[in-house]
Amino acid sequence: MADESRKKEILEKLRNGVIQYDEDACREGANEAVAEGLDANEAIFDGLVSGMEEVGRLFEAQEYFVPEILMCADALYAGLDILKPHCKQMDLGVKGSVVIGTVEGDVHDIGKNLVKMMFDVAGFNVYDLGRDVPLDKFVEEQLKTDSELVCLSAMMTTSMVGMPKVIEKIKEKNPNCMIMIGGAPTSKELADKWGADGYAEDASNALKEAIKMVAFLKKLRDEKLQK
Amino acid sequence: MNSRERVLKLFRKEAIDRVPCFSGMGNVTETGINQLGYRFAGIHLDAKQMADTAASTYKLFGYECGVVPVDLCVEAEAMGCVINVYPHADGIIYPTIKEKLIHNEAEMDTIKIPEGYAGKGRIPLIMDAIRLMKADIGNDVAVGSYVLGPFTLAGQIMELNDLLKLSFKKADKVAALLDICADAIIMTAKEYEKAGVDFITVREMGATSDVLSPRVFKNLIMPPLQKVIKEISAYSVLHICGKTNDIVTFMMDCGPTAISVEQKNDVVESRKKLGNDALIFGNLDAYNVLVTGSEDTVRSAVRKCIDDGVSAVWPGCDIWPTVPPQNMKAMMEETISYGGKR
Repeated sequence: MADESRKKEILEKLRNGVIQYDEDACREGANEAVAEGLDANEAIFDGLVSGMEEVGRLFEAQEYFVPEILMCADALYAGLDILKPHCKQMDLGVKGSVVIGTVEGDVHDIGKNLVKMMFDVAGFNVYDLGRDVPLDKFVEEQLKTDSELVCLSAMMTTSMVGMPKVIEKIKEKNPNCMIMIGGAPTSKELADKWGADGYAEDASNALKEAIKMVAFLKKLRDEKLQK
Repeated sequence: MNSRERVLKLFRKEAIDRVPCFSGMGNVTETGINQLGYRFAGIHLDAKQMADTAASTYKLFGYECGVVPVDLCVEAEAMGCVINVYPHADGIIYPTIKEKLIHNEAEMDTIKIPEGYAGKGRIPLIMDAIRLMKADIGNDVAVGSYVLGPFTLAGQIMELNDLLKLSFKKADKVAALLDICADAIIMTAKEYEKAGVDFITVREMGATSDVLSPRVFKNLIMPPLQKVIKEISAYSVLHICGKTNDIVTFMMDCGPTAISVEQKNDVVESRKKLGNDALIFGNLDAYNVLVTGSEDTVRSAVRKCIDDGVSAVWPGCDIWPTVPPQNMKAMMEETISYGGKR
């Protein structure tokens, strides 16, 4: 088992690897974490996710833009792929499965993929329907998988308007299912009006919302560990 | 002064009686489509239906222009992409690209504009629609069309995800691709000019500062845009979605007759930067105000646009077809009654 300072070094390598979109550094850090017996969950949250939080901040400060975020996401996945098989199953008291996709008429999936990444990180079962997804498919998939969360994404106003139909249908069949909508044309007003439980209008916002949720899960985990 | 004279004078920066209300982007309405007995999925594939539908927004509401096409896939289709018009959809779904032309980085080097490009896809159909629309309402309103910006077109013919990353990692490669896209767009615009359009809007929607840094915009996006706009001999409008306050000066430097922005642009600030003489269109929220707002919301939004200093009341995106007819009427009435008071 690595000592505290070595552990810190590895976490720092993972964190910086994400921030500096350095896939090699993330791979190296992840391999070191595994080889030296670091807790994989900790390496993910305190290394990779912590880096992604900083990326979100840089995006908000307009130092980073979407191309940088995409490269950071690649770096995160490079580390995650190695760490994931070593993760202990987190017993969070929630099932943690999500149906996610871009609505029919929209072929943009960048925002969707960023949100998906954070669910991957959090160990959710992710049912990714891809893009240009017929509205009924969301409803079917939610029922089939009994997921407690559905995320709908659209980048253009011209495709967003299908969302309320899906929300209505899902809520009708399963009132407890949480629904998050995302994409440039969405807003809090629309989310409220359509009965969605959350929204994210841009990549940083989506990232922040997803990170918030993941951070909340981490807090639960930490509290459990302390008990 | 009729609508046509008003809009053309505006483009020439001559004195007009009031601010006009028009746009260079899609503005067909369900009211118009239903009245004609057409289906949304059908109007993209039939010149007469497209022209009739486009003209109906003027005929029904007095909207001061006629614009075709209705979707954003014309250039990509002529380049060789297959499009999906969702023929069986009940509601309104805009056409999208089914299959990309470039699947990996290496294919960026081999992409070419197909021989006889101007006759490919629906370019001849759009030309027919322009002619029909012009014969129908061309004496009353300015007739416009739109093309995509090079970056937005590139994002259709290859994965946007890859395009964005390569814009950062391999800017030269992306620049070469954008130059090819620019050539295709120029050919498209020239055909529309042959058919008789008065103005062309260049929609570089993907290159907003929500997505790319102003630095990347200046180095990578601007040169091919300048090339396109230089070749357009009709009046030209450059439209970019999203937050554009940081790039409005660059947008003007691209050389268009006017720029078009959406509601995320602070027009007071843009006006300060660009001066009183610049033509700034847009800023009216085409969905949250026009479609879901009340008539009063529409009226106050129109007044705010005018007070903030727009040169034309112009929805900042395609008008979503389910727009309530009373909101279209409110937008026109308010422009007419308030638009001369500035």
